[in-house]
Amino acid sequence: MNWISMLSPWQWAILLAIPPAVLSLYFLKLKRKQLAVPSTMLWRKAVEDVHVNSIWQRLRKNLLLLLQLLFLALLILACLRPGWSGQNRIGERRIYIIDNSASMQATDVDPTRLDAAKKRVRELIEETSSDDVGMVIAFSDRADVRQGFTKERNKLLSSLDSIQPTMHNTDLTEALRAAAGLANPGRSSFEDLTDIQVADAVPATVYLLSDGGFGDLGDFDIGKLQIEYIPIGEPTTANVGIVSFAVQRSEDKENQLEAFARIMNHGTSQVSFTASLELDGKLLDASTVTIEPNAEAGLLFELSELEQGQLKMILDYADSLAADNIAYAAIRPDRPINVLLVTPGNSALETALQTARVQQIATLQIEGVSFLTDSKYSESANNSVYDLVVFDQCSPTTMPQANTLFIGSLPPRDPANAAKAAPATTEEIAAEAKPVASDEVASQRQSDWVFGELQGPVIVLDVNRSNPMTQYLEMGSVGIVEARTVKPPESGDILMIGDAGPLFGIAPRGPFQDAVLGFSIVQATDQGIAVNTDWGIKRSFPVFVYSAIEFLGGGITESSAPTVQPGWPIGLQLSSRFKNFEIAFPNGTRTELVRGDESRSVFTQTDQPGPYAVFADGLERPIETFCVNLFSTRESNLATEATIKMGYEKVAASNATAQARQETWRWILLVGLAMLVVEWIVFNRRVFL
Amino acid sequence: MIDRSSAVVDTNSSPLLTAEMMSKLERMELVSRKIFRGRMKGERRSKRKGQSVEFADFRNYVNGDDLRFIDWNLFARMDRLYLKIFLEEEDLHFFTIVDDSISMDFGSPTKFFVAKQIAASLAYIGLCRGDRVSVSSFATCGSPVVLRGKTSAYRLLNHLGSLPCVDQSPTMEEAMRKFCLKNTGKGIVVVITDLMSKSGYETAMRMLVAREMDVFLIHVLSPEELEPNVQGDLKLIDCEDGDQREVSISASLLNRYQQALAGFIENAKSFCNKRAIAYVPARSDEPAENLVNEYLRGRGLVR
Repeated sequence: MNWISMLSPWQWAILLAIPPAVLSLYFLKLKRKQLAVPSTMLWRKAVEDVHVNSIWQRLRKNLLLLLQLLFLALLILACLRPGWSGQNRIGERRIYIIDNSASMQATDVDPTRLDAAKKRVRELIEETSSDDVGMVIAFSDRADVRQGFTKERNKLLSSLDSIQPTMHNTDLTEALRAAAGLANPGRSSFEDLTDIQVADAVPATVYLLSDGGFGDLGDFDIGKLQIEYIPIGEPTTANVGIVSFAVQRSEDKENQLEAFARIMNHGTSQVSFTASLELDGKLLDASTVTIEPNAEAGLLFELSELEQGQLKMILDYADSLAADNIAYAAIRPDRPINVLLVTPGNSALETALQTARVQQIATLQIEGVSFLTDSKYSESANNSVYDLVVFDQCSPTTMPQANTLFIGSLPPRDPANAAKAAPATTEEIAAEAKPVASDEVASQRQSDWVFGELQGPVIVLDVNRSNPMTQYLEMGSVGIVEARTVKPPESGDILMIGDAGPLFGIAPRGPFQDAVLGFSIVQATDQGIAVNTDWGIKRSFPVFVYSAIEFLGGGITESSAPTVQPGWPIGLQLSSRFKNFEIAFPNGTRTELVRGDESRSVFTQTDQPGPYAVFADGLERPIETFCVNLFSTRESNLATEATIKMGYEKVAASNATAQARQETWRWILLVGLAMLVVEWIVFNRRVFL
Repeated sequence: MIDRSSAVVDTNSSPLLTAEMMSKLERMELVSRKIFRGRMKGERRSKRKGQSVEFADFRNYVNGDDLRFIDWNLFARMDRLYLKIFLEEEDLHFFTIVDDSISMDFGSPTKFFVAKQIAASLAYIGLCRGDRVSVSSFATCGSPVVLRGKTSAYRLLNHLGSLPCVDQSPTMEEAMRKFCLKNTGKGIVVVITDLMSKSGYETAMRMLVAREMDVFLIHVLSPEELEPNVQGDLKLIDCEDGDQREVSISASLLNRYQQALAGFIENAKSFCNKRAIAYVPARSDEPAENLVNEYLRGRGLVR
């Protein structure tokens, strides 16, 4: 058990100085002034009278005694530790839930709402008796148990101090769930890695310090929790916040960008201010905005063609929450993806690749089948020159170092898996593809592609809407002459299912992705080109091609960089050509991003608002940017809520002053000490009385 | 650190009696409530019949009577011998005993100085009237200075002025015993003391009463004793026996002191009244002149 010092060194010094001080007073008292008198006879009589007199007579009019009794009474009172609220709180369990979402940074309460909440919790913790156990939970859009149940106030206070403001949204349910879970009777808390049974079957009190903004909590079962909601902040705090800011290509003007912002006024009076737009720190444009109370206004800035840059919008308006007066947007770096199409000839595919949108994002190289045997191909394929290689009706001998899309052809066997991969029958594949597969088949491990025989005609039954490649596809009217079933390895996904079985699948191969379409669009025969499906003339085909290039090529299709709210993960489509990625934070620091097998990586360290940039393999210019913005009407609305709705229950705001136990014993002790001083003076000046 | 709150008035240089006061005192006379037999012929009428010009009575002649006192006119008329008796006039024995213990050396002027002034005043009156005046202190009770006649005034003042306060002064009882053994005669005894004797004053006074003397007790107290002006925590030191008493002065303690003082004075007064001792209280801050002129005159010691 470690000794925990409750006092700072100077406090210790004062404490240690008290005994010598008292001792010195004692010496002072001893040193009486000597006075020679003719005779002590009369004095002796006078002093002896004290013993003779009746005790009550003596106590009468004795101010010193009165002062001493008063002092004692005060000491005793102080020891009783009186407080304003006279409840017995011994052995109580308290859970302090503190909101540290973005809106808690509002300065309508000095210094900020979060600091005010921490101060209130500090008071609540300090008033607890030594038998009380407490727990500290900070929450924004996620709950963070800072300190499990403990009796040690120091731990609670230090965990309280460690709560920092975040730019996150507000979501109370997780915090309440954590509180309810930890407050359940019979649970134990891990403290110093020892399993200690701290929690008895005692209902816990939850002190919820928040400014609201978490809406209806639904049917949350609070069980034995008693919730004391202490709202922090002024109920009507005006605020102006940017709820949306984006940059996009102008629809009607070529080579022009438009920056669009939505600004909300959460106040009861009309506001007017200047909104300025900065590009990489330089003022680009400014505009005056006037917004009616509780209304929002849109703002449009027209920008000339910009290749790349970070836009920052600043509202020149002083309100309680500064965080939502700045918004960021980034213009994505222009980086066309390299696509190689190897085809014996496919006019539908080539046409689909010639669309303006595709041209915008990709540079296309079309080669004949003979190119596959060229040394130039093997060199560039192995050096990751291409982002995507499309094999139409042909397949290479070895897989290139790139993402691939096979149309009507099969990828070469992986030598490692070739031995055990026996051709499967169509029936088997069809059976496996069914959603309800037998346990036996499902448990069979499959690590390589499985292809069926060609058959037809085939109707497409369903497409996988969760994959970007197929999410917009409408395949109901597409007829297919013949197709083969395609079953991707276990790690892959089936993207399209026909009546014969899966027709389109995707599977990772190291850092790359392979997609295999089980049927060709056109088929080169001896008689010329035969159309295998009418998909090529349907509207969904170019959509598919575009999506495939965008998804498999890792292409960047929009000029506006994606934006997420602070703390939320962002999915990044990263080119498979590069191995190492770094992310630059708004404050300039960099971190390495580990790219998994999938082309899509998820980055989660998005706590700082501002523009982020992704750098690859030592390239000077970023290959991707994104922004983190607090675009939340809820956080921008600083009006505090007086009640929390919890299903049918409403928890009203507690009167913060009535709930708080105002410690008075220190003051009583101070008054007692003052009394002692007065008594000392009186003692030495009694003649005046 | 003994703060002896004594003599701001220089008792050595200031005279016991001023010329003005002496002229006043010359007109006064010591009055005894009893008629005592003196040793020498004095100015006072005695109980004894004697040879003054004042006729007192006749008595029958018995053998051996002085023939000079036979009233021959009466013998001629009555044919019997009668003796004329005249009143005798005698001198008065006046004793004054001054307490010379250290406790008297307090106050401003000191109680001792005031006591000596009173003693000098009374003794001077006695000298002027031809009384036999004996002046002594407790320490010198065994060998008092006896004076007679106005011419002895210088000696009187000289002697009294040179009397010191004695550190190891005998107790009042011892002093009185010595006095009574030494002085067999009767007369007026004036004891000037503060009665601050832990062994008590009662026995001493009883001795004087037993001698059938006309006893006066002049109780001198200083303002420091009557209204002590002290405060704080004190260690009181008895100047006579060094007795220490720690007191913390408070209003109630001062009250109790006053009560003790009043009780002490009351005791002394009632003790004296019971024994026909004239008790005369005196303050040391009051001029001795006032005391003699007004107070002692009022109490009948002087006329």
